[in-house]
Amino acid sequence: MKGFGYLVKEGFKNVWSNRIMSIASVCVLISCLVLTGAASLFSINVRAAVETVGQSNETTVYIKDGYSQLEAVYIGKDIEKISNVTSAEFYSKDEAIKQYKEELGDDVFAQMQNDDNPLPDAFIVVMDDLSLYDETVAQIQKIDGVDKISNRSEIAKKLTDISNLVNLISFWVIIALMIISLFIIANTIRATMYSRRFEISIMKSVGATNSFVRMPFLVEGVVIGFIAAIISTGGIVLLYEGLMAAMQQFQFMEYFAIPIQSVILYIAGAFVVAGVLIGFFGSMISIRKYLKMEGNEILGW
Amino acid sequence: MIDFVNVSKTYPNGTHALYDVSLHIDRGEFVFIVGASGAGKSTFLKLIMHEETPTSGEIVINDNKISTLKRRQIPYLRRHMGIVFQDFRLIEKMNVFDNVAFAMRAVGESTSVIKKRVPYVLDLVGLKNKMKNKPSELSGGEQQRVSLARALVNNPEIIIADEPTGNVDPEMSHEIIELLNEINAKGTTVLVVTHEHELVREFNQRVITINRGRIIGDTGNSEIGDIDVSEYYDDIPQYPENAVVIPD
Repeated sequence: MKGFGYLVKEGFKNVWSNRIMSIASVCVLISCLVLTGAASLFSINVRAAVETVGQSNETTVYIKDGYSQLEAVYIGKDIEKISNVTSAEFYSKDEAIKQYKEELGDDVFAQMQNDDNPLPDAFIVVMDDLSLYDETVAQIQKIDGVDKISNRSEIAKKLTDISNLVNLISFWVIIALMIISLFIIANTIRATMYSRRFEISIMKSVGATNSFVRMPFLVEGVVIGFIAAIISTGGIVLLYEGLMAAMQQFQFMEYFAIPIQSVILYIAGAFVVAGVLIGFFGSMISIRKYLKMEGNEILGW
Repeated sequence: MIDFVNVSKTYPNGTHALYDVSLHIDRGEFVFIVGASGAGKSTFLKLIMHEETPTSGEIVINDNKISTLKRRQIPYLRRHMGIVFQDFRLIEKMNVFDNVAFAMRAVGESTSVIKKRVPYVLDLVGLKNKMKNKPSELSGGEQQRVSLARALVNNPEIIIADEPTGNVDPEMSHEIIELLNEINAKGTTVLVVTHEHELVREFNQRVITINRGRIIGDTGNSEIGDIDVSEYYDDIPQYPENAVVIPD
């Protein structure tokens, strides 16, 4: 198209001359993109956690209350006799309370010493073949003195359920925000078109084609979308790293959390594509009406 | 160049703007179109510019039937025309040069051509020394000359001036029409809608008089002939129904 450079320049000028509305559009789009990104990151993390939990070859077998440590040792030997069990390591309630104290502080567990310790003794069981997980658990359950078994697949299922729920809620929130963004951008462009209706009417009267009239406004929408995408990418990195720093005390988070660097390029790419598309279609919605008008109709006379 | 064949226009609200209008305007003609407010002059111009489409009849411009034009072809039709508005329609934030250049940019002309052509056209209308001025720094007459330069800059075959002297003082009005006359002398067809009968008389060009949507006088058409057009200008009310002077 002839004069393409001029049209692009005009598009950038539009963003600046209509800056209040442009900033409003960028802000709404940022909130939309950051929420989308946050929901995606949450989902990615939950999926990673589910995989970690699912692949973990350690099952905790709790011993019923009232069994002495010696009795527990025998229970351990019975567990080890099961063909699919590679090892069963004793994990006493004293060790358990000690670890809790280290992770969450002494104060909370100060009164939970010796006989006042509410935690059960346990065995950390490693299995040979995880495909036989359910059968092996059933065999362990039959042994006298075994209370309950922490079922990793259930944790994984719960995490997946949470992830699905978050995905579902995010989906509708994102759809709603996308529509709002589209509406806000369409209004921003409409405001620009209104302030430039004089120029549009002159352009049409001298024989400018519709694509020529349309171009600066499309550029404006796309620029708004692009700016929002770049700021959103920076925002999501800061948010994620801030959250990770705040959660450092919970060591399991560090264990599960995926590093932002591994996904940031995909997120940035998705943000740019989404921002640019919303900007583009937001503009298209507004322009259509003006392009159908002629002469004084454009000026509202 | 421009042919109207039995053209009628009725707006969706029921207003009958033109009835069965037929006329021919040759290439290189200078035509005044006169008539009272609401007579149908604006509709006549809008039909030529294809801002409106006729309800019936056919309009032919440069041997192209307007009714057969596709929507995307309309801009190319308009590139043959230069429009001068009564209210100038200059963009206040742009200086004189950019206002004129805008019309060239809108049709995708290159910067190098614009830089050569705009000063030339501004020289033609006597405003070469005011290229950097903003419209608000110019008199009404000067603003209209900028508007005229903008209409001329794409080298159109037809200049359509809708009340070009409506917002300028009498002396300037004369200059504007004089300028249009000079442009016409170089071969451009000029259509001027005006209320100012003194000017019309002074320049002795073809005059088409419209009243109540009908052509009631045409000095260029012996079948219709001349009439005392002064009654159809300015704030004179619509010509009475019983006084229609169209010959049978």
